[in-house]
Amino acid sequence: MTTEERIQKFRQAWTDLRTEIGKVLVGQEAIVEGTLTAIFANGHVLLEGVPGLGKTLLVRTLGEALDLSFSRIQFTPDLMPSDILGTNLVIETPSGRREFQFQRGPIFAHLILADEINRATPKTQSALLEAMQEKQVTAGGEMRRLEEPFFVLATQNPIDQEGTYPLPEAQLDRFFFKLLVGYPTAAELTEVLNRTTERPPVRVNKVLDGPRLLELQQLVREVPVASHVKDYAVRLVLATHPNTPTAVPIASQYLRFGSSPRGAQTLILAGKVRALAQGRFNVSFEDIQAVALPALRHRLILNFEAEAEGITTDQIIQQVLQAVPRTAEPVAV
Amino acid sequence: MDELSVIRTALEQVGPRSRWLRVWRGFWQGLLAGAVVVVVALGLYKVVPVPWSLVQAGAALGLGLTVGSALIAGLRRVSLAQIACWVDDRLQLKERLSTALELADRPEAGDWRRLLIADAAQHAAGLDPRQLLPWGLPKVSRWALAVVAMCVGLGFVPPYRSAAYVQRQRQAALIRDTGRQLAEVVRQELRQRPPALPPTQKALEQVVELGDRLGRASLTQGEALRELSNLAQQLSQQARHLADQPAFKRLDPTGGEAGGGAGQSFEKLQQQIAALQKTLAGAAGQPDKLAKLQQQLQQARQGVAALQHSAGGPKVSADQLASGLTDAGQQLRDLGQTLAGLDEAIKALANNRADLALEHLDAALADLAKLRALAQSLQQLQQQAARLGKDLAEQLERGQVEAAIGTLRRMIDLLKAADLPPEQQQKLMDEVARAIAPGSQYGQVGQHLKQALQHLQQNQKPGAAQSLAAAAQELEELLRQMQDCQGLLAALEAVDRAQAAICSGKSWSQVQRSGRCAACGGLGCGRCKGRGWSHGGGTGPGVGTWADDPEGWMRWEQTGPVDNSGVQRPDLAPRGLTERPTDLNPNLMPDKVRGQFTPGSPMPSITLKGLGIKGQSTVEYEAAAAAAQAEAQSALNQDKVPRAYQQAVRQYFDDLNR
Repeated sequence: MTTEERIQKFRQAWTDLRTEIGKVLVGQEAIVEGTLTAIFANGHVLLEGVPGLGKTLLVRTLGEALDLSFSRIQFTPDLMPSDILGTNLVIETPSGRREFQFQRGPIFAHLILADEINRATPKTQSALLEAMQEKQVTAGGEMRRLEEPFFVLATQNPIDQEGTYPLPEAQLDRFFFKLLVGYPTAAELTEVLNRTTERPPVRVNKVLDGPRLLELQQLVREVPVASHVKDYAVRLVLATHPNTPTAVPIASQYLRFGSSPRGAQTLILAGKVRALAQGRFNVSFEDIQAVALPALRHRLILNFEAEAEGITTDQIIQQVLQAVPRTAEPVAV
Repeated sequence: MDELSVIRTALEQVGPRSRWLRVWRGFWQGLLAGAVVVVVALGLYKVVPVPWSLVQAGAALGLGLTVGSALIAGLRRVSLAQIACWVDDRLQLKERLSTALELADRPEAGDWRRLLIADAAQHAAGLDPRQLLPWGLPKVSRWALAVVAMCVGLGFVPPYRSAAYVQRQRQAALIRDTGRQLAEVVRQELRQRPPALPPTQKALEQVVELGDRLGRASLTQGEALRELSNLAQQLSQQARHLADQPAFKRLDPTGGEAGGGAGQSFEKLQQQIAALQKTLAGAAGQPDKLAKLQQQLQQARQGVAALQHSAGGPKVSADQLASGLTDAGQQLRDLGQTLAGLDEAIKALANNRADLALEHLDAALADLAKLRALAQSLQQLQQQAARLGKDLAEQLERGQVEAAIGTLRRMIDLLKAADLPPEQQQKLMDEVARAIAPGSQYGQVGQHLKQALQHLQQNQKPGAAQSLAAAAQELEELLRQMQDCQGLLAALEAVDRAQAAICSGKSWSQVQRSGRCAACGGLGCGRCKGRGWSHGGGTGPGVGTWADDPEGWMRWEQTGPVDNSGVQRPDLAPRGLTERPTDLNPNLMPDKVRGQFTPGSPMPSITLKGLGIKGQSTVEYEAAAAAAQAEAQSALNQDKVPRAYQQAVRQYFDDLNR
């Protein structure tokens, strides 16, 4: 299969998925695109928003549109790590012997919906760390690989709500994107009402299976990136490192920690997906800028001053995008 | 053309145009920067007394910035990749061109490379450099033009300078000018009269050096005056040291002029006079008569010319002219001279050939002019001979050193001649003997002459010649010293003039030469009779005697009001002042009445007690003025008002009437 054909397939899959999700989910274009971008970049997504905005519906619909195993974990304060990963149970064999047998938890699926992830205790939240990064689970001293593709699509309520446990930085960093789900517009809300109160539920077709998704993920990684575009992504990330020569003033003022290297990886990978989705064969500065907010917002740690003044990471990222020039040396022709 | 070439070609077309645009933009940026520099420099110059060279430097820097900025912009190398980045950014090509160019060098990129280049080529195909880089004035040009306009406007603003600064500048310029003049004058002196003595040379060089320093304006007024004063003192001391010799008092510095140059003896002058007398015959000593004859011939010539132009005129005129010419010819013959042209002219007139007569008359006039010039030369030579001493004694007596040296050399030549007749030797001995007394005033000259006389008496001609040579040498030495002294005095004069110029704030040419004797520079010499001041010169008002002042007391000018109220003049006190009644108006106070001392200058004031009336007048102004005018007119008619003030009084009352 030629590259053109593979690219064509990517675009077809992207369009189909958009179409299928669009059958169920009204509006939230940016959230859908962000989620799909993460899926094609082989990354996990953290969706944040108040209850009832369609976070779970989006993930569930995505699970239906993808011909992949799907499991949903509802995170509660009493949820234990073993409830996610699985545990060794004493099983009596037909021969009458008793032996330990590993009972797989819901993590063993392609698409995991970690609903209201910040309602679980940090201990339970941490159970996902290994699975998200290494795509493997260690239980009872035995390491078990998770089947690829593997995605965690987590939803969380805003952290200032009652009964929430903020995710640790290490866990946050493992999410490819953090998408903020906002309220629908009036038109969107009307459409939601029309669909949910007047018509029967729509059936979502499966448009992409696991092996094809893996192929497309591989295709995404092949998209070329010009050195100056890569350099831009690097400079953006370096600009968030407070109190360093490369830092922009606002970063030094309001950030405790800047983005990890995963931030730069995310910028490039997401840029590649966006380029392909838009029918281009290369990543542009605009792609990097477009994905900067979801890629970096959860990777910047605010200091006390920023929290006291109500500064958000999004504001800081916007400032960084304005302050960092596209090219290291100004191009004046 | 493959797709990559399409991209490269498109970008290469953008390159030159972008370079010229860079130059254009760089020019305006440089102009703005340069204009700002010039405005700052000019503004500074207008407000602060900085030198004009700062503005010039600013202008040069501004020009340099303009040109330099354009050049730098033009010379800056821009790679194809940079152009690709710029085009991507300008046309929103989403980094297609730049990525394609980068990937073009990476064949391992495979299909992606091909796809990307094809995609980029599609976008590059329609690239038009003219649309992409249109010509026009950049934004910076508006600012640049505004600043340039400000610069031009500022140029018309007069600079602010304080009065003290202007005064300082004027002083500095004056010092510079004075220094240059001083150096030039002394350099000229050095060229014309190179000093014989090293100290004199050194002293004059010091003056030149000081002049140069002043010319560079490296000294303030005080410093300049101090230096000039020190130098003047030094020069004066040196000149006095040279002039201390008593022989100097006897020297006539112009003695050489009478002889027509060094070594020109009385005998030679006599020979020249005799030769001229022989040539002129009876016309010698008659230049006035020759002048009259010349005038007569001129008139005759005019008559002949008139005769020539009025053809067929009266015959009597030609006869009269011929008669006049014959008379002139007779007068010339009486003086022992004949003019060939004159006789020919008479003949031509007789033949009625006015044109020929005119020609001969012109020739006769030219000959007569020569004759008259010779007569005048003879007169001058005779005057010179009269001034020049006849023999060595007289020459030494009159201080004619150069003539004396010439005479001594001639004597030496005579002594060296083998066949000197005894009578001539006796004559020589007599002359030397007479010269001993005056020669003793010139250092060792008298002694040498005495020795020469002794040798002559003993008939030792070589010894006598040697002594005479020693005397001549002594005189030459004295002459050299005198010339050095004159050089020093000339320098001293120049230094004094420089001091006067700097002190008074006048230019070199405005400052008068001092009244010192030109010969001795104030040291005292025979010419100025030891007074140090030349005839007609003077020490200025208040110094010396009235007789020394060429303009006398008339030279004094009153330039300001004089208040002599404090001067006690009982002889001029008004009589009967104490007899005035004490019950006079108490408002009567002493007052000053200003009068005009000399016409055209402010009047001095004289205090007249009791004439000032203060308070309300009880008399109508017109009546009082009319009465006063009548009184004044009466006084004028009776010549009670001095003549010098009559005009002023009339003007005063005329003004009152107006």
